[in-house]
Amino acid sequence: MSEILSSEVVIIGGGVIGAATAYFLCKEGAEVMVVEAEDLASGASGACDGFVSLQTKMPGSHLKLALESAQLFPSLAEDLEVDIEYNPCGGIMLATSQEQMKELRARAKALKSAGLEVEMLSAAELKEYLPEVGKTVKGGSFCPGDAQVNPISLTLGLAQKAQEMGATILRGCRVENIVVTNNRVREVHTTAGNIHSRRVVCAAGIGSNQIGKMIIVDVPVLPQRGQILVTEQRDPVLKTIVSGAEYLGTKANIPELLPEDEEAARLGLGFTAEQAASGNILLGSTREFVGFDNSTTPEAMNAIARNAMRFLPWVEDLDVIRSFAGLRPCSPDGLPILGTVKGVRGFYLATGHAGDGICLAPITGKLLSELVLDGETSLDIEPFSLYRFK
Amino acid sequence: MLRLRKTGTVDMGRSSGKGKGADGGRPREGGESLAGGHGDWARAWEVSRRKAVAVIDCRQEIPCNPCETACSKGAIRVGEDICALPVSDPEACDGCGRCVAVCPGMAVFLLDRRAGGGMAAVTVPYEMGEEPRAGEEARAVDGEGKELGKGKILKVTAAGGTAATKLVTLEVPEEWALKVRGVRLREIFIEEAEEVEGYRGAGDCIVCRCEEIVRSEVEETAGHGFRSLAALRRASRVGLGYCQGRFCLEPLRRELAEKSGRTVEELGFGSPRPPLRPVRLSRLGGGDVRDT
Repeated sequence: MSEILSSEVVIIGGGVIGAATAYFLCKEGAEVMVVEAEDLASGASGACDGFVSLQTKMPGSHLKLALESAQLFPSLAEDLEVDIEYNPCGGIMLATSQEQMKELRARAKALKSAGLEVEMLSAAELKEYLPEVGKTVKGGSFCPGDAQVNPISLTLGLAQKAQEMGATILRGCRVENIVVTNNRVREVHTTAGNIHSRRVVCAAGIGSNQIGKMIIVDVPVLPQRGQILVTEQRDPVLKTIVSGAEYLGTKANIPELLPEDEEAARLGLGFTAEQAASGNILLGSTREFVGFDNSTTPEAMNAIARNAMRFLPWVEDLDVIRSFAGLRPCSPDGLPILGTVKGVRGFYLATGHAGDGICLAPITGKLLSELVLDGETSLDIEPFSLYRFK
Repeated sequence: MLRLRKTGTVDMGRSSGKGKGADGGRPREGGESLAGGHGDWARAWEVSRRKAVAVIDCRQEIPCNPCETACSKGAIRVGEDICALPVSDPEACDGCGRCVAVCPGMAVFLLDRRAGGGMAAVTVPYEMGEEPRAGEEARAVDGEGKELGKGKILKVTAAGGTAATKLVTLEVPEEWALKVRGVRLREIFIEEAEEVEGYRGAGDCIVCRCEEIVRSEVEETAGHGFRSLAALRRASRVGLGYCQGRFCLEPLRRELAEKSGRTVEELGFGSPRPPLRPVRLSRLGGGDVRDT
């Protein structure tokens, strides 16, 4: 390439985290280049449901992050030119046993004291929110702050807006090396040429480990497969996003809420349901560590279908038209990895969001833009430091 | 259906002109100029101050000569070559109007400027269902079917002898006299095709029936620089409907490849996911996918 590329900030990864970071950096007037190996939203951001779920977060810094993020969605929905189908619909988590009810009740109490509104509903009270639930459903918790969004539109909308504000987006551009001299990032070597930059944000999702190796840092992110079924389009039937208590169990590894069935436990099965703006109902989901294999499997599809009928029997009449699987970037504790890297100035991590990428994208983008430009953040991100694992 | 309005033809009273004629109403360039006709329009214009005369606006060189045979005065000549354009002699014409009635292309009209006062009487054929009545108002339309304005019906006759064809004589200002090719009794129901709501412009068509996505939408999305078919699917929703792209994706892929200068292999096909055809969830949950 004859042209010498340079940028104030290079963001590696064109998923929702990279796009959000680009968006917030551009808002502050930074010069941004996004480097994406494939296409925008081609990884986990394009193969997930649109849950913006608060009640599934751990009380503490995790929930705080999610609460801050949730507050940013309405203004994003207004600011982006793409309709991100943001719907503050609230969310219901269903329990299928008294033990689960007890656990949810305890959690609701903890979440409430942490500032999140959560309300327990009996099986009879559920009727107001949900059409006909399975006989095994004993009740659930309702969180009015939960919402849904179209993850693909969100990613594309953020990227498009960033581009309008001056960001350059290089698609099909693979990062080959990152040059560090005198403990500082200097250059990013890519298939599109070398980019001079003193600030690099790694938002590469499941590719973060590989990027980390280039600066000799181990970023402990593993691909976790999540499979989802998509049904035909229907008139609106689901008023809220819905999940089962086992979903939380597998997500946060809470022993009391893990599935009892052996196969379900192996698949990391947890019930989720949401109706997208298009009318399709997305039924999920699984959590499996199977390397970089993103295929969908008959076992998981069967298990998801069976599980869905257990919670919402009426879905049995729906036609399933598609399945998909996404590889979520999962850190050892399932929480994001945010912040700087010791010994390499100008290198920032924004990865490992696992299944929370969509929900936490706005606040991640905002915090990263603060970190990159000011060196400090408005919210303490120390709990998400890379060094918590060591 | 949106092209219902071959207005010139319809308005002038015939659904199709088999013979020489006004070519569905297409106006001749400079049709309003006096020397524009095949016959001598300048002479006809002069003569029309003294009597009604036939003016011929025929430009189709096809085998047709009813105007010649209909004229008892020998004022219209086609000649031996039946494909030739007719030539009229305004002096010989007695303004009977038979040629107006028999012309299958509605290419003849009568012009009469005797009344003076800046007004002229134009006689055109009319074959539609409604009954035009003398004294009523009617809309004069030009060869394109465009309304020139309202005029008063002076006379309605069946002079042509063909019972279905009436001759309507309309009083119009002199400046329109050579432009009038038909009359319309009612308001038209369909405005210009471009203005019909829901019509997305010529050349556009649905490429994904399930999601109702038209070509221009896909092209617009593709214009944002997506590299693969999978990315285009995600961004546009094309092929994400009930059929899962079985019908639309392959042609779309080939076209994209052509436009982007990439090969179909480079564009990829996304990752085809089960089920290949929609399957009832209860069957999927039944534990045996082979059954579906």
